[in-house]
Amino acid sequence: MMSHEPEPSPTTCGAPLLQRGFDPYRDNAGTLVGIAGEDFAVIGSDLRLSLGFSIFSRDQSKLFKLTDRAVLGSSGCWADCVSLNKFLEIRLKTYGFEHNQPMSTKAIAQCCSTMLYSRRFFPYFAWNILAGIDEDGKGAIYSYDPVGNFERVPYQAAGNSGPQVLPFLDSIVGKKNQSNPDKAPITKERAINLIKDIFISAAERDITVGDGTHIIVITKDGLEEIRLDLRKD
Amino acid sequence: MSILAYNGGIVIAMKGDGCVAIATDRRLGVEGRTVSIDFERVFEMGPRLFVGLPGLATDTITVSQKLRFDMNLYELQENRQMTPKTFATLLSGTLYEKRFGPYFIEPVVAGMDPKTNEPYVACMDLIGSTTETVDFVVSGTAEEEAYGMCETLWRPGMKPDELFECISQCVLNAMDRDAISGWGVKVHVMEKDKVTTRYLKTRMD
Amino acid sequence: MGSERYSFSLTTFSPTGKLVQIEYALSAVTAGAASVGIKATNGVVLATEKKQKSILNDEHSTFKVEPITQHIGMVYSGLGPDYRLLVKRARKIAQKYEVRYGEPIPTTQLVQKVAYIMQEYTQSGGVRPFGVSLLICGWDNDRGYLFQSDPSGAYYAWKATAMGKNSVNGKTFLEKKYSETVELEDAVHTAILTLKEGFEGQMTQDNIEIGICDAKGFRRLTPGQVNDYLANIS
Repeated sequence: MMSHEPEPSPTTCGAPLLQRGFDPYRDNAGTLVGIAGEDFAVIGSDLRLSLGFSIFSRDQSKLFKLTDRAVLGSSGCWADCVSLNKFLEIRLKTYGFEHNQPMSTKAIAQCCSTMLYSRRFFPYFAWNILAGIDEDGKGAIYSYDPVGNFERVPYQAAGNSGPQVLPFLDSIVGKKNQSNPDKAPITKERAINLIKDIFISAAERDITVGDGTHIIVITKDGLEEIRLDLRKD
Repeated sequence: MSILAYNGGIVIAMKGDGCVAIATDRRLGVEGRTVSIDFERVFEMGPRLFVGLPGLATDTITVSQKLRFDMNLYELQENRQMTPKTFATLLSGTLYEKRFGPYFIEPVVAGMDPKTNEPYVACMDLIGSTTETVDFVVSGTAEEEAYGMCETLWRPGMKPDELFECISQCVLNAMDRDAISGWGVKVHVMEKDKVTTRYLKTRMD
Repeated sequence: MGSERYSFSLTTFSPTGKLVQIEYALSAVTAGAASVGIKATNGVVLATEKKQKSILNDEHSTFKVEPITQHIGMVYSGLGPDYRLLVKRARKIAQKYEVRYGEPIPTTQLVQKVAYIMQEYTQSGGVRPFGVSLLICGWDNDRGYLFQSDPSGAYYAWKATAMGKNSVNGKTFLEKKYSETVELEDAVHTAILTLKEGFEGQMTQDNIEIGICDAKGFRRLTPGQVNDYLANIS
């Protein structure tokens, strides 16, 4: 009979050799909420940048102003988010030079998708929401997964608090599960206040949400920024 | 995938002004495959005492039967009703007895004190670590979604009708964003002299 | 293994249908030191005689009145060692209950469970009945309780009672003195007076023991406190 002794593991000075796999992803959390209206779009992010239980920054917006009618929110692995937006900026600039006009929101939406998918087998670990005004002057929200699948939606929540926030948006903005909903489109003020409330609530339950929120309102007149303090614990 | 999410399901309990509500979905699945749409995971343990046992369905049934057994003995022996707090302690002990081979359920207790009518809600993890709250408790596969709903919709001092409306919206919208919860909702609203049970019509997908 | 141990019950029926072992146990109780319990409107009192055999005994190092929980206490007439075993069991029962249900054991429950144990010892193999009767007092549900538990496992709820030596006289005395509206302070006096009936020699802080139970819980009186009561009587 052959003896089946366990093979000795490689050692260094008697101690077991630790073999580490390459782990390129960090989850820096972050939460994004976007709501589209008739002639505006609102997008908000929290200001906390964290890793596990450590807080890296209390004033890091996850919103990237792409044009005066489109804003991209990115959360997830912050390094990936920054990198993605840097390349996106280059694409936008190049487009501007070549076409003598800024890229339309619809084109940006497609461009984001393509860029994300180009990294299909080593994806950016980033959850994105694009908010903007489309060619018809209507508010638009585009929602993405990390590999570029996207969809135009009336509202979206993403990032760490996404699961908590989304059903609330379904109920209030989407009017789901209501017998006689008021079909009137959401007003800008209501959308802004809603996003404020959402972040206040999210900060109660989710430790990755806090410190503050950065909200950008996009209308045909450009971008309007709002900042609101949140609990800091 | 966790054993706790093998069958799916969600339970929420909320306090109101002189009332308590507990709501649950009615689906029983085997992972993604729906098997039953009239599954009971909330049990009436007394005139104004309910327990929700979301988690692994077999343990939901086993634990509900064991609790019924222990409660019947208690009520015969002591000739009085068990208070929700006592019930929660008993349940917590029952779960901790199986510390190293637990029942895969994360219970929710909702009730009113038989004497003082004080509303009571509590939830615990699968080995009986109990949390009593002043507002609401949630447990199940749509827990995160339900927390988001409850945190925004709950407010203090709701009357029975408002409480029903609130808990219904919470459970409906939470479970609609969870693939393995849904297929009908059952809501119990407890008041000092009555319990109202309602079934809600929901999307069935 | 066990061959040296009787495996049958020692308590068996006599031809006339009596369990004489239990009657012998009751004799041990009647021969034991007197104890008294009185329920007042705002509390319950237990009192007992604690005569020492020798003046060399240190009276204040051992106790006859014992707390079981924050709100339950007991005392006995009969055999001391048997009592201490029951105290130990009662405390364990009380703690088990509190761990299981997260609330203090109701006095009625404790009494039932202790009486159950005493009954077991009348029917189990290789054991004899307890040679004690217990007086158990407690406060819950915003009211007081006073119970007596006998070697047979029978238990009674009393407004006031006496056990042990001279218990018949004690009870007659209580029947005359008891009032439904009595308050704790007066009940303590009555309890002491009841003990005094048939007390041989001088009653002092060193040869009686008193425990009281009310909304604040159960506690044993210190010799100093007992002395104050005694001073008020004479």
